[in-house]
Amino acid sequence: MKWLPETKAFDEAFGREGGARAHYRPLVSILESFTQTEIERRERLQKLSLIDQGITFTVYGEKEGTERIFPFDFVPRIIPAREWERIQAGLVQRVTALNLFILDVYQDQRCLKDGIVPAELVLSRKEYKRELLGVVPPQRIYTHVVGTDIIRDGNGEYMVLEDNCRCPSGVSYVLENRNVLSRVFPEFFTAYPVRGIKDYPNLLLRALLHAAPRRTDKPVVVVLTPGMANSAYFEHSFLAREMGVFLVEGHDLIVEDNHVFMRTTRGRQKVDVIYRRVDDDFLDPLTFRRDSLVGVPGLMNVYRDGNVALANAPGAGIADDKAVYAFLPELIKYYLSETPLLPQVPTYLGIRPKDFAYIREHAGELVIKTTGDSGGYNMLMGPFASKKETETYVARMRKTPGNYIAQPLIELSAHPTYVEGRFEARRIDLRPFILYGDGIRVLPGGLTRVALRAGSYVVNSSQGGGSKDTWVLTARET
Amino acid sequence: MLSRVADSLYWMGRYLERAENIARLLLVTEDFSTETQGFAEDLAQGVWKDLLAIFPAAQMTRAASPFAPLAVPYLHGFFLDAGNPYSIHFSVRKARENARSVREALTLEAFLAINETYLALETYETRGLADLPAFRAALTATQKGLFTILGAIDNTFARDETWRFLKLGEAVERLYRSASVLRVKLPALLAAEPRTDLPLYYTQWRTLLRALSSLENYRRVYGARLEPPLVIAFLLFDASAPRSLRYGAAALKECLEAIAGPGDLTPPARLVGRLHAGLYYGEGELMREADYAGLLDRVSGELSKVHDALAALYFVT
Repeated sequence: MKWLPETKAFDEAFGREGGARAHYRPLVSILESFTQTEIERRERLQKLSLIDQGITFTVYGEKEGTERIFPFDFVPRIIPAREWERIQAGLVQRVTALNLFILDVYQDQRCLKDGIVPAELVLSRKEYKRELLGVVPPQRIYTHVVGTDIIRDGNGEYMVLEDNCRCPSGVSYVLENRNVLSRVFPEFFTAYPVRGIKDYPNLLLRALLHAAPRRTDKPVVVVLTPGMANSAYFEHSFLAREMGVFLVEGHDLIVEDNHVFMRTTRGRQKVDVIYRRVDDDFLDPLTFRRDSLVGVPGLMNVYRDGNVALANAPGAGIADDKAVYAFLPELIKYYLSETPLLPQVPTYLGIRPKDFAYIREHAGELVIKTTGDSGGYNMLMGPFASKKETETYVARMRKTPGNYIAQPLIELSAHPTYVEGRFEARRIDLRPFILYGDGIRVLPGGLTRVALRAGSYVVNSSQGGGSKDTWVLTARET
Repeated sequence: MLSRVADSLYWMGRYLERAENIARLLLVTEDFSTETQGFAEDLAQGVWKDLLAIFPAAQMTRAASPFAPLAVPYLHGFFLDAGNPYSIHFSVRKARENARSVREALTLEAFLAINETYLALETYETRGLADLPAFRAALTATQKGLFTILGAIDNTFARDETWRFLKLGEAVERLYRSASVLRVKLPALLAAEPRTDLPLYYTQWRTLLRALSSLENYRRVYGARLEPPLVIAFLLFDASAPRSLRYGAAALKECLEAIAGPGDLTPPARLVGRLHAGLYYGEGELMREADYAGLLDRVSGELSKVHDALAALYFVT
């Protein structure tokens, strides 16, 4: 069995001298005990299992309704307990600060008045929803579910790349990956104390119930999906099924007497909490985009009057802004009087003339992103772009400098990944999921995405990425 | 239950039942036409054309070639042609689309079974089937796949609304389709004199019983004796054969009562109750009148009304 460790960046499994790191040693020796044929047989089993179960996502821009399986690599990513404790503490701190920031933005705007974040930066964003000024969400929680993307730099230092406070997706793959791996390679689990994750739907439901505005014995929770054509439809349906709640589409809901009801075979039934996987802009055609067909007319009025909870709360997207991100260390100090526990990537802001000049001059070395996009869209990877691509991108930037940020290229850590009969190093990241209910809880592990193309840094599923099972070990490890 | 979900379950039930009906009819028809084409080609051709009368909205996209075996274009059209709204491929795809849209309401076992059966159909369609035996093997496997789905549903679903709306779709489709088969086959069979070829005449009646998966059930009641009036009475009025009209109406009635709850006489339940009572109490009279075409047209007409009443009551709220 051949292993090709990473030489340019931090290799998760192998040290600089080439030997396996202590927590990867049992895995490496188990894998080496398999023959090539055996591994290939197992890999086929695993692919079949994903296809049969319809664990798929939809790729936009291809033939309508194209379903694809999200490629799964069976070599698990292992995080020792001590490393995870640091990550977890950092995430709890971060989500606490993010929620306080959003609350502040829609209430007193103290952080803007005190000059912590430039006011025009926040107020000019389309994710800033003026319509929600003064509206306090139930339990003062905006960010019920957060997915924060974490990478490791050349020294193996964990750092935050971005936060997703809107509708972070991927958790269904976290759960399904574990299922698939434990069926196809049960041997792996004999050698490691891996923390369980199957409780997630339960914890999610609890967080959602906590948000219920109505004090009833049994608040009604629903998952709102844009429908089958959405790329994350599998996940919406998966979570509804796992939580045992209704999966609804916009037209299943109706607003009457300032409450939300769903249309059922026994008439209308009141809804208390909506875990919505529909973007703010499409939630309510009467408040936001009028052309939305997936929303519920009148929903925002009900929400404003506190008669329904929306998770995540509308307006939370302001915290996802890649320029706001640059201020998070300051915001943590400002709201919590604490030092940030997790470092993040240095960021140049197009909104600052000095930074913008720097970005223009060094475009070839930087990763440039638009502030409002996610999923790896509209991004320039300077070091890999042709001169022409860079020039075109820079020319486009000049029109709206404030919409761009730039970061140095981080050498993402790499992880052994099974590619055509060999274990080759491929770049990875990590998206842990954080739930905010009666407390803040972090699902141990998260979604490890892997760039399956050799040399690629882009891990997004829409751009040819795959995923891995992610193990957090219990403290009992040796 | 959400109206949209109930609607999807109802259609999922209908499409699954429809797919199984088509599979069975294709297998039975292929048997009959292969056996008879050598000495009664008109009959062998006729039974294929009957399929177009049973599924009047079906669209055959491939013309029958005078050189290929007669069965192939029909088998292809009703089995794999994704463009024919009455092909198995189309029906299973629709059932799967409905299942995907309400996946959270289904059990994993049922969804897996639907998905696997559908993926197998996709493979047949892309690879193509070479000859009649290949068609037969694939059809048989598909029918088995459909039974696996139905078995998974029956063995894993709670007997709640989800299950009932599925069964409701199944019951409507089954009764409607059995009535259509009888409506197309009976008049021709009754008009045909036993002629000289008695074995062929009985083969036709036996094929009719098989077409409604009732041959073994019939034999258990009447033995091997095939008397047309007995066959007709059995297919219309038997109390326990799953595809007799009377049984179908009873199943439908039961479904509706379970959904509406006791004592709630909803508009569709009223229609079905009348239909059932007619078949239940009117056996003697209806057999004496022997106006089967009229009776079967009435049944189909009433079922269309039931469908509309269901939509108004449960699906469009």
